[in-house]
Amino acid sequence: MSVLDFDYMLGLLPILLGYLPLTLGMAMAGMVLALALACGLAVIRVLEIRGLNAVTLLFISFFRGTPLLVQLFLFYYGLPQVLAFLTQIDGVTATIMGLTLHFSAYMAESIRAAIVGVDRSQTEAALSIGMTNAQLMRRIVLPQATRIAVPTLMNYFIDMIKATSLAFTLGVTELMGATQKEAAGSFLYFEAFVTVAVIYWAIVEAFAWLQRRLETRLNEAYRR
Amino acid sequence: MFRTLSFALLTAGAVAFTGPAFAEEDPLKVGMSGGYFPFTFVEQDTLKGFEVDVMEAVAEEMQREVTFVTANFSGLFGMLESGRIDTIANQITITEEREAKYTFTRPYVYDGAQVVVKEGNDAVAGVEDLRGKTVAVNLGSNYEQLLRELPYADDIDIRTYESNIEQDTALGRVDAFVMDRISASQVIKEKPLPLALAGQPFSEIRNALPFRDTEQGRALRDGVDEALSALREDGTLAELSERWFGTDITRH
Repeated sequence: MSVLDFDYMLGLLPILLGYLPLTLGMAMAGMVLALALACGLAVIRVLEIRGLNAVTLLFISFFRGTPLLVQLFLFYYGLPQVLAFLTQIDGVTATIMGLTLHFSAYMAESIRAAIVGVDRSQTEAALSIGMTNAQLMRRIVLPQATRIAVPTLMNYFIDMIKATSLAFTLGVTELMGATQKEAAGSFLYFEAFVTVAVIYWAIVEAFAWLQRRLETRLNEAYRR
Repeated sequence: MFRTLSFALLTAGAVAFTGPAFAEEDPLKVGMSGGYFPFTFVEQDTLKGFEVDVMEAVAEEMQREVTFVTANFSGLFGMLESGRIDTIANQITITEEREAKYTFTRPYVYDGAQVVVKEGNDAVAGVEDLRGKTVAVNLGSNYEQLLRELPYADDIDIRTYESNIEQDTALGRVDAFVMDRISASQVIKEKPLPLALAGQPFSEIRNALPFRDTEQGRALRDGVDEALSALREDGTLAELSERWFGTDITRH
């Protein structure tokens, strides 16, 4: 009881790592979809497109204003009682949808901030040499906005990896669900949760390392 | 992952047009938490336990396939409700509220609610000593209800947990937890946690399999009930119980 059972932890490690592809797969799919959705939402916000702007504000308000777990339960258990065909959506898909909607609300705001954060003089200079609005966005604003947005977007991705641990409430046995069930079989809670914590930590550190490399590359033009 | 997503969207679309078709050869979908030793738990990535064995025997008797779906306990009734599973094999106790909403098979396990404390905690010697104490129960389980029915319920600080109530009691974070007597005894016997039973069980509980109270749900319930009766008569239920608990918990 008092000493860590290392043999158990070593035996558990390969079993838990088997669930890593699912955990990372859900996070990556969620990230790609959320990024696409967030870009759309951010553009609507920046250009203040009539009609769509109000819908976007409501969307962001709701998905930022309610817990992810509430949203997951709502999609997976609540809505199917009203719309029966939603029962066909499996837990993995529901989780990815939940992550996408939830995180796109946050990411839309940070992408919008990044676009707005590009200095006005850049826009004026581009327009003064006769660039069209599309050229201005593509060549001048977006590359600079990307540099500003990357750290916060990576932050959301890291958060998303960890948020996949909620999927077991929807019946998806991912990394955390597998750990809970193994712990129930062995009652070695401390060992099981230390092992899973180390796995999450290692993944996040690996992505943090990638983020640092990406930032260095994006900052090359700014080095003196 | 995208394949899963698009497949799900496609099937969702297809089903929306054709309506669900429930073939007789569909596997029986059984939900369980996978976190309730020794009824349902995982060892070396394999789902095991009394519930697993019983449901496999039931399926064999019915000549159907069975698939197990594991989810956090708090999600199981939502899954049953939304038609994602056919029943829950997780020692579901028959209560008035549940009977109003679901249709149950006849009980296949008889048990009692048991108070469990940290070893050496002499302050709690039974359910009558829970006044003024902090007591843990699992979220969604009926033990919270049983505690609230006690005359001194207002003086008990009831904490509901998603999981790990045994661990928190062993850590001394709560004074006691309430669970069924059978699995409490198993936990104490087999697991390295300093816990002890406190007093006698304080309420008989009957556990059965819940189904949706629809025509289809009741038909399935009848089929499962029949299989359970057959397994009771040929001694399979008693044998499985002996194997897991060393005693027959499937009778009064």
